[in-house]
Amino acid sequence: MNAIIQPQNRVYSRPSLLNDAHMHYCPGCSHGVVHKLVAEVIEDMGVAENAIGVSPVGCAVFAYNYIDIDWLEAAHGRATAMATAVKRLMPDRLVFTYQGDGDFAAIGTCESIHACNRAENIAIIFINNAIYGMTGGQMAPTTLLGQKTATCPYGRRVDLNGYPLSITPLLAQLDGTCYVTRQSVHTPGAVRKAKAAIRKAFDNSIACRGASVVEIVSTCNSGWKMSPEKANQWMVEHMFEKYPLGDLKSND
Amino acid sequence: MAKNIGAVTIDSERCKGCNLCVVACPLGVLALKGREVNNRGYHFAYMESPDKCIGCQSCALVCPDACIEVYKCPPTAPPKRGALAVEAERPDQGQALQREEPATETSAQPSNVTLMKGNEALAVAAIRYGADGYFGYPITPQSEVLERLEQEMPWETTGMVVVQAESEVAAINMVYAGASCGKAVFTSTSSPGFSLMQEGMSYMAASEVPALVINVMRGGPGLGTIHPSQADYFQATKGGGHGDYHAIVLAPSSVQEMADFVGLGWDLAFKYRCVSMILADGVIGQMMEKVVLPPQRPRRTDDEIRRQCPWAVTGRKGMRPKNVVTSLELDDDKMEANNLRFQATYRLIEQNETRCELVDTDDCDWLIVAFGSMARISMKAMELARARGIKVGMVRPITLWPFPAEQIRKAAANAKGILVPELDAGQMIEDVKLAVECRLPVEHFGRLGGNVPTPDEILDALTRGFNIA
Ligand SMILES: Cc1ncc(C[n+]2csc(CCOP(=O)(O)OP(=O)(O)O)c2C)c(N)n1
Ligand code: SF4
Ligand code: SF4
Ligand code: SF4
Ligand SMILES: [Mg+2]
Repeated sequence: MNAIIQPQNRVYSRPSLLNDAHMHYCPGCSHGVVHKLVAEVIEDMGVAENAIGVSPVGCAVFAYNYIDIDWLEAAHGRATAMATAVKRLMPDRLVFTYQGDGDFAAIGTCESIHACNRAENIAIIFINNAIYGMTGGQMAPTTLLGQKTATCPYGRRVDLNGYPLSITPLLAQLDGTCYVTRQSVHTPGAVRKAKAAIRKAFDNSIACRGASVVEIVSTCNSGWKMSPEKANQWMVEHMFEKYPLGDLKSND
Repeated sequence: MAKNIGAVTIDSERCKGCNLCVVACPLGVLALKGREVNNRGYHFAYMESPDKCIGCQSCALVCPDACIEVYKCPPTAPPKRGALAVEAERPDQGQALQREEPATETSAQPSNVTLMKGNEALAVAAIRYGADGYFGYPITPQSEVLERLEQEMPWETTGMVVVQAESEVAAINMVYAGASCGKAVFTSTSSPGFSLMQEGMSYMAASEVPALVINVMRGGPGLGTIHPSQADYFQATKGGGHGDYHAIVLAPSSVQEMADFVGLGWDLAFKYRCVSMILADGVIGQMMEKVVLPPQRPRRTDDEIRRQCPWAVTGRKGMRPKNVVTSLELDDDKMEANNLRFQATYRLIEQNETRCELVDTDDCDWLIVAFGSMARISMKAMELARARGIKVGMVRPITLWPFPAEQIRKAAANAKGILVPELDAGQMIEDVKLAVECRLPVEHFGRLGGNVPTPDEILDALTRGFNIA
């Protein structure tokens, strides 16, 4: 076995932009996988010197501690407004936001829609885990009907809480978006596809083709109170019906 | 042994024992340790059946913590990562643009004398300063700033960016971002919009980024009126948003000062890495006056910004250590240290940057303290008073924060009373009372709701308030 473990035989390793810091995420959290993909894509593109990320308020607030590029940390929901200014002021940079569902689709809905509609040349990584992970598992705009959270402890009800918001299809309708896709990271195949989607979105930002949105349907096993494996199963069984995977728009 | 074609190494200290790799492996190679744990207490993953591994990478792909390296013999693809792909040295775009260090004084050639509104002066002065970007949302009585910028089309000449945002919330966060990139960026608004901007004001203060924010005040509270007011004095000088912070607050009382304070505001903001505000009111914004415009300066190049603002988020050119602009610090001791640093900066600003204008204070029996449009009207009231033999002097605070308390104390040394005329119900008067420690009577005179008093009303308030014959 050890004979194979030689540098020339290495086919997969941690991207060096993902540093040694111990990520604060719960075991099995989708955020970790997506961080890894973001780091890999930037490294593959060779644009670490030109990449600027905007981190959200949410569990990913400390993304800047893990991925070694320049970062801004936005106020809750304002990441796309910040990315707008960064890209306008420095049009040759890769500019992306990384946001949760509460950040992107509740408090930041206005900024999210308008940045997309203005065709800002930014990439948006949108982590939809159907819950407010960071603040302890409250209802998110994307929480499914019947799903239990700390603020809908008996399950989300239409009469009390309204419907889950599927925002990505709305964004696909806007003239300003060039690429809108829904992915997940629960299987090796899904991870490969998600990586290709992030690559495409980042390429679009550099080439100034308009706004790209990569929604990652994700798990929050802590908020959902499940094991990571169970959370993946629950996501497949419940989330994919409301949030089906695949490209919603791709202007090539 | 020789038949093995794959292998993995697992960073057992990074591993959180989530079991996702175990599930993902198609050949059942991996397992979690049953009893053994790592330093963080996790049952980490390991190769339970190493002979079965085919090097397919499935485990590594799904691992949220990037713990797994995969080896395959013979390799199907060359190792991709390791050393970073550093971009080939590109010709420095900044270099070609680089100009002589431009003049910083705001004196100008006679050809730059022109007649314009205060709001327009803000816009034109900003372009001439070499501004990088404006982000704003229309609101009366300052919409001429954005309108004039759009007319000037500075993106065609200096390359300045102008964005009409979807709200003041978006606008201030765009400014926050631009400031974090070391750019000279600004916004302008009026009172209801300034309330929405308090979030960004607080975040910018906490992140120590330099920006220029203009509030051309109108009467409130609420939607109120579109007419002039000074009722945002507390909000501007005492913080306004959450947390302990200050912005430098400049109070222009002429169109010339509207133009001049744009440059001054940015110079101070960059010097102290803080937010500078121009706190004007509808009178100064809408008034037409002769103004001497500053000479056109080139915008700073990318390289100049990297040199002048080494903290700025610009991309890690040359793979310098990463820059992060954040207002978050969860370690209480570090956050206390941050706060102490902010306070030290504020003390320095108080020492160095307190500004005011003194008018006839040497021999005055009565003192007026007024700013902005009220200072202009008070000047006329002083003339009327002196014509009647009443010796009135005035201190006009130019910086409302830091407040010229010392100067007021000195100017009031031989005075019998102070009148503070304001377009509000009595806000600055609190700072004036503190300045003189209530050693002499201090009276307020105010008009509200967008009303502006005449000089006679002010003179009347003075003579009646202090029983001057
Ligand atoms: C103005 C403001 N309101 C509320 C909060 C508290 N808060 C922090 S994170 C968060 C929700 C995060 O949920 P989401 O965006 O879905 O991210 P996740 O943690 O699930 O990845 C909230 C409400 C805040 N920081 N700022
Ligand atoms: S709370 Fe949820 S989203 Fe946050 S780190 Fe834990 S699993 Fe991930
Ligand atoms: S997926 Fe990664 S973190 Fe989870 S058990 Fe396997 S090696 Fe450990
Ligand atoms: S590389 Fe493939 S076969 Fe080997 S341990 Fe990982 S998942 Fe299993
Ligand atoms: Mg969430």
